[in-house]
Amino acid sequence: MRVIANRDLCQGHARCEDLCHEVFATDAIEGKVVIVQADVPTALEDKARLAVRNCPEGALRVGRSGKGDDA
Amino acid sequence: MTLHFQPSSPDHVPAELMIDFDMFHIPDGVNDPVEIWHDLVRRGVPKIFYTPRNGGHWVFLNYDDIVEGYRNHAIFSTYQTPVPPIEPFPVVQPQGVDPPAHNVFRRLLAPMFTPIAVRGMVGELERRAATLIDGFAAQGQCDFITDFAERYPTGTFLYLFGLPEDRLDEFLALANTFFRSTDPAARAQNITEIYALLDTLFRQKEREPGNDIASAIVNARDDAGNQHPWEDILNCGFLLFVAGLDTVTNTLAYVWRYLATTPAAQQHFRERLDDPDAFLRAIEELMRINAVSNLFRRVTHDCEYKGVAMRRNDRVVLPNTVANRDPRVFRDPQVIDLDREVNVHLTFGVGPHRCIGSLLAKREVMVSLQQWLRRIPAFELADDQPAGSVFGGSVMGFTALRLRWDV
Ligand code: HEM
Ligand code: SF4
Repeated sequence: MRVIANRDLCQGHARCEDLCHEVFATDAIEGKVVIVQADVPTALEDKARLAVRNCPEGALRVGRSGKGDDA
Repeated sequence: MTLHFQPSSPDHVPAELMIDFDMFHIPDGVNDPVEIWHDLVRRGVPKIFYTPRNGGHWVFLNYDDIVEGYRNHAIFSTYQTPVPPIEPFPVVQPQGVDPPAHNVFRRLLAPMFTPIAVRGMVGELERRAATLIDGFAAQGQCDFITDFAERYPTGTFLYLFGLPEDRLDEFLALANTFFRSTDPAARAQNITEIYALLDTLFRQKEREPGNDIASAIVNARDDAGNQHPWEDILNCGFLLFVAGLDTVTNTLAYVWRYLATTPAAQQHFRERLDDPDAFLRAIEELMRINAVSNLFRRVTHDCEYKGVAMRRNDRVVLPNTVANRDPRVFRDPQVIDLDREVNVHLTFGVGPHRCIGSLLAKREVMVSLQQWLRRIPAFELADDQPAGSVFGGSVMGFTALRLRWDV
């Protein structure tokens, strides 16, 4: 599983970081999401999926791993 | 004075969309101000309606429309929006400016409210919460509003702006007049005083910059290397003063009021004092169910929105408390589920103006509750709660919350 972020939509709620800091972080300048590891390890998939569903801006997506379709 | 941004007369509003609703009026006997909004939903009024009260304004009741009101700045502007209309009104930075110009002050403030920045404030937030609570813990009672919920965020403002803690009472008095006075002369005088104070403060921070937000704002440079317009600097300071006080005070009040009447919830938090993820999840849920603010927008041009004719300068009110209980978005929306997993609440808004202080606000609530539970045993509402101590408006809440516990 792969996660993709759209930084134009991201408004820095940091809900994703709160819910799965292993995959999502927030930069220190704009306060927007940074993907720490785009290819999510199997053990973290549920956590990362929950973070994606909790983004109020719809700025995060789940894709299939190996597909480099960064939005 | 000519009022440029007055709503038009409502002759474009069809009779079936006209509902008499006063968002500032909490009827006798209603002891939770958000209920006036949920009452509209229970009555089945149209999801987009117009009320002639408070200068006249639309109200959106669907989550999706409220999101659209927040995001679609081509139709719904934040410029000069007060309800009831007041002019002239400061164009606060960055809230009162539409994108893309909005981004100038948004970017300026962003680094000071990131997760990393807020983590750096935790020690100070803990120290102040502990000191305040220690001041009344042994008494077995307090008025949560005046003894804690007003003082705490006001202290946070002093800290953010590099001001000494001994000025707390002065700022508290200014904030109380600003939020609670209904006397127009007192209000006008109050705003003048706040601006005079900010002016002095920014001048001082210009000469002797410190490691604080006021210094960062006044010493920032625009793309051409110039200081930002002085008026914008003042209007940004003004917004930071008013945005993080009443909102935090009344969010705290709602959370403590719920806990005081729900022993199982107190227990839930006590058992999770060492589990910050679960603690935060429960706080998110209490913030969903108790969204204190109703935001305003102004229609930019005559248009149709979802088949409803709107006129330029019409005001729109976005009640977050209603969005947060929309059954199409939240499972069992009226149930308070402290372990709710998917919680896309709008308590802090959404889109470009989304609350920049949300992480700080959540941290203030979290730290306060952790410090409180470590010092105060089971607590409940006291018998001497004065009747009618509630208010509505753009921020809803309480003027008193009497609590007691065994000592
Ligand atoms: C529980 C407490 C709080 C609530 C419920 C809250 C709510 C909101 C909401 C709904 C907005 C969106 C405004 C709009 O779309 O027109 C907003 C914006 C804002 N808030 Fe908060 N807020 C809280 C605490 C704070 C704190 C502590 C600060 C700062 C110290 C703060 C600073 C701001 C600023 C600067 C904006 C404007 C952002 C922009 O226009 O880009 N807020 N807040
Ligand atoms: S939750 Fe969404 S909007 Fe918030 S930081 Fe993460 S990606 Fe951005």
